[in-house]
Amino acid sequence: MAPISLKKAGKQYGNLEIIRELDLDIADGEFVVIVGPSGCGKSTLLRMIAGLEETTSGQILIDGRDVTAASPVERKLAMVFQSYALYPHMTVRRNMGFGLTLAKLPAERIREKVEAAAETLKLTHLLERYPKELSGGQRQRVAIGRAIVREPVGFLFDEPLSNLDAALRVDMRLEIARLHRTLGATMIYVTHDQVEAMTLADRIVVMKEGRIMQQGTPQALYETPANLFVAQFIGSPKMNLLPCLPGAGGLDLSGEGSIQLPLSGRAAPAHLGARPEHLSLVSPDSGHCRGTIEVSEYLGGTTSVFVRAGKLGLINVSAPADTPYRLGETVGIHIDVARSSLFDDAGKAIAASR
Amino acid sequence: MTTLRWLVFGIAAFAMNFPILVTLSTSFKSARELSTNPGLWVQAPTLDNYLAVFQVTDRLNIFLYLFNSLSVALIGTVLAVALALPAAYAIARGRLGERTLLPFIVNLRAVPLIIFAIPLYMMFQWLALLDTRLGLGLILSIVNLPLALVILVNAIRDLPGELDEAALMDGASRTQILFRVIAPVCRPAIVTSLIFGFITAWNEFLFGLMLTTSKAVPITVGASFFFAASGGGVQWGVASAVMVVGALPPVLLGLIMYRQISGSMTAGAVKG
Ligand SMILES: Nc1ncnc2c1ncn2[C@@H]1O[C@H](COP(=O)(O)OP(=O)(O)O)[C@@H](O)[C@H]1O
Ligand SMILES: [Mg+2]
Repeated sequence: MAPISLKKAGKQYGNLEIIRELDLDIADGEFVVIVGPSGCGKSTLLRMIAGLEETTSGQILIDGRDVTAASPVERKLAMVFQSYALYPHMTVRRNMGFGLTLAKLPAERIREKVEAAAETLKLTHLLERYPKELSGGQRQRVAIGRAIVREPVGFLFDEPLSNLDAALRVDMRLEIARLHRTLGATMIYVTHDQVEAMTLADRIVVMKEGRIMQQGTPQALYETPANLFVAQFIGSPKMNLLPCLPGAGGLDLSGEGSIQLPLSGRAAPAHLGARPEHLSLVSPDSGHCRGTIEVSEYLGGTTSVFVRAGKLGLINVSAPADTPYRLGETVGIHIDVARSSLFDDAGKAIAASR
Repeated sequence: MTTLRWLVFGIAAFAMNFPILVTLSTSFKSARELSTNPGLWVQAPTLDNYLAVFQVTDRLNIFLYLFNSLSVALIGTVLAVALALPAAYAIARGRLGERTLLPFIVNLRAVPLIIFAIPLYMMFQWLALLDTRLGLGLILSIVNLPLALVILVNAIRDLPGELDEAALMDGASRTQILFRVIAPVCRPAIVTSLIFGFITAWNEFLFGLMLTTSKAVPITVGASFFFAASGGGVQWGVASAVMVVGALPPVLLGLIMYRQISGSMTAGAVKG
């Protein structure tokens, strides 16, 4: 188990800068999830940490030791790949033991370690099978088992669940969380799925175009996003963005309504971010703004009601599921102002609004 | 409908294999029958031609020719695949020489081999490799290299790069990855290269004719010695028999390994 640090780490392919001067400190035993849209450089970053991809500038430290130029095996990290990458010509037993065989451990020790890991992952009855005889979920567990067996100082996961179907994904997510609790190992987990990020992480790192947009606990990112990108990326369903301007005594919602809110003099809010769950439907003449119901989606626990509100656009309100909503009905929308965020023209959060 | 299909198939198969059938039937005819019966059907089958072929004389030795062919084909095949495998790995993964070396080597197949004849003859003379099994085997490995390289490069390209990376994380060196992961997974492609190589090497005639005289004569060249075994005209029966004997090993190998070959030729098409 070890802390992992990146100091101004960068990656360039020719003139293309994929990772830009990235600083990241991961504590011993921490579960960090790196999340971001496809192509933002998550895999590249993970592979730089693994040593599979050369780091073209800056440093990578594991346990305080500079490993920027070290080979993957010297870094003592294990990686679980999206495609599982099991050796097709080896049984599960040999797949899991391959690293130990290469390290020339005695056969007896290899057998013990492999069987212990198989026990943890409920793979014992599959040890003599070949990868092609396993289901997707079983293959993924073997891939994780192969990582555990080597007792690495840290685990790297690159979208390990994205090839599994939805139900299995939830099971495996729980299993990975359990594994983190029992092993207490440092884990870095890459995904583009913000639900996985929210549920697994001690800390989430949100990336965009090779840069860190914000990092923090899932709660911090959900409650106080640092910018529009994070606000839109974290949370499901997505946060509503209402265009606004500073107005008399507070905010002017593009002429569709107003909010009484003490603003500090220099703040120039341009967007109000409000999550669907922080909005409620009220009678048309109360509330902060109004509109007509365009679509409603019954979700069981709640109903997503989409309200067309003039220049504010379509607003998603998470409403109780037990009341019927009539399309075309005019409704008022109440905004829980204390739990919403303000952003300036450049998309940066305005902290003073709280 | 099926009857028609079988009829067409039967005619096509017959037409394509006609020369083989003629050779086979001729090899079982006596010299006398040959002059009277040009048909496919043998009236009085005889093994005399085969007995003549297997007769070792001071001028003719079919066993030596077969042994030579076997030796040079093995050298020419195993060496070619042994050289092609690491090269294919470097080309497919390291992308080394993908634009230059690979087309250059592959294009060797398009060059008429006779171009190599004169410089090779002189080189071999200097190196004392003329009329040796090693010498002929070395040349055949060069003949086999392009196809083996193409087959192996494509097979390795079809494997996901994450397989190599998983092995790197497991602490394998590049050599260990090649021999303990890539080679076993590519076994069908390797077997295919070996079989094609063996068949090509066994059937090769030009270099055998040029570079050997007595000790290292392969069966393709040796067979022609039988055509006029006792002076006078060509003994068609004996000639046919020696050709049947010479053709049998690669044909049997091809048939036995057919499943293996066709399996690996389509392996890349559908990812498992
Ligand atoms: N070998 C490469 N050469 C050039 N660009 C690359 C290479 N590998 C990845 N990239 C680029 O780097 C960016 C980040 O890729 P990646 O790390 O795979 O993104 P993610 O995992 O977040 O989807 C992408 O825009 C991709 O096109
Ligand atoms: Mg990726």
